Amino acid sequence: MSEKNRSGKRTARERMLEERAAQDAQHAKKKKLLVIGAVVVVLAVAAGIGIAVQSSRSSSDTPSAAPAGAIGPKNLVIPDGPANAPATLTVYEDPRCPACGQFEREFAPTVDQLQDQGKLYGNYHIVSFIDRHDGGKGSKNGANALACAQDAGYFRAYHDVLYKNQPDETVDAWKDKSKLIDLAKQVPGLDSPTFESCVNSNKFGSWVSAVEQDFDKSGYTSTPTVLLNGKPIYPKNGNDEITPDNLVKWVDEANQGKKPGTTGSGSASPAPTSTAAESDPALQPSGGGS
Amino acid sequence: MAARTAGGGGGGVVEWISTAARLGLAVVWAWAGLAKISDPAVAAQAVRAYRILPEGLVKPVGYGLPFLELALALLLLIGLGVRIAAVVSVLLLLAFVAGIASAWARGISIDCGCFGGGGAVDKSQTQYGQEILRDCGFLLLAGWLVARPRSRFSVDGWLAA
Repeated sequence: MSEKNRSGKRTARERMLEERAAQDAQHAKKKKLLVIGAVVVVLAVAAGIGIAVQSSRSSSDTPSAAPAGAIGPKNLVIPDGPANAPATLTVYEDPRCPACGQFEREFAPTVDQLQDQGKLYGNYHIVSFIDRHDGGKGSKNGANALACAQDAGYFRAYHDVLYKNQPDETVDAWKDKSKLIDLAKQVPGLDSPTFESCVNSNKFGSWVSAVEQDFDKSGYTSTPTVLLNGKPIYPKNGNDEITPDNLVKWVDEANQGKKPGTTGSGSASPAPTSTAAESDPALQPSGGGS
Repeated sequence: MAARTAGGGGGGVVEWISTAARLGLAVVWAWAGLAKISDPAVAAQAVRAYRILPEGLVKPVGYGLPFLELALALLLLIGLGVRIAAVVSVLLLLAFVAGIASAWARGISIDCGCFGGGGAVDKSQTQYGQEILRDCGFLLLAGWLVARPRSRFSVDGWLAA
């Protein structure tokens, strides 16, 4: 009897322990699920906050102000030469990129000449991605200063001066805006209080950032990217290396049977460019001006 | 419970290894996240350069990923939900490795943008092999934590006590 009783007690105790263990297990399971849920929520909220914060911090891909005469959707492109020319040369270049400097120093006289002959319409995308790669501000400051020059009607001349005085890629000389203003003094008529305040206040900063974002999406990954009627011709067009002579030949081939556009220096661009172009030979003895 | 006390001697070393793995992975995620936060446009471009995601997803991923990485770093640092955080880490790292391998296989030249930067680079400057190897090292840490999430100085441990 006593034995029976004892065994009965034991089972009760065992049952109680079992129940407790089951409860504990359930409790632990609940805790685990809670932790997993909490972690998932934390991660999702963090990503959501990130998207919201970074969206508000990132500059718009539509500029708040664009330089006068800029063309294209959102006015991100600076034109040079006659808009009615039969061929279009699209150039993506960064003020700090050494290959762009080389390209400009070698080809600017030819490109200017083709434009002034009414054969070519220049479309310039002034990008600023070197600042990301190398750090610094020179590309962005330079691009803004070019926009200021366009706004004042001296894009071509200032563009030439900048690339002739381009610092080494790794030396971020143009983080100092006064250097960009000093260079503007080489373009007769450009330097003015308006121009200086435009450079110093980074007036076209949102435009510069929008142009860069447009380049990001273009699929082109290096500068200079040079397109003749939309077809890449730098450094090669098919099997042929680009040279000033080849460029003239390619433009003439593309224009065969088409009527040239308005001739004369910078006729279609903002008027003052012509003054700058005329004074070009004085600035660049090598320039094959009009 | 009994198993835990009984395994105290052997488990101790494992727990210390797990603690080191946890903190190591936390540092990796914190570093990766912080490096991508300063310029949202750069982060978006690093994602776009892979040419995998459609344009509509480029910005959400570029903007959200660094914060997700920082949140993982925080969870691992305090040791909350270590196993699930480690599982997410493994999945993320596998996605990164797949992305880099895909870029490599397609012959495009980009920087992985793993720790900031990213975007197109010169062909001679690609480092796909090293980048994948590095991520595999991180995968080992994360994999260890999936298997052995219990570690010292963790909120998980404190909650279980």
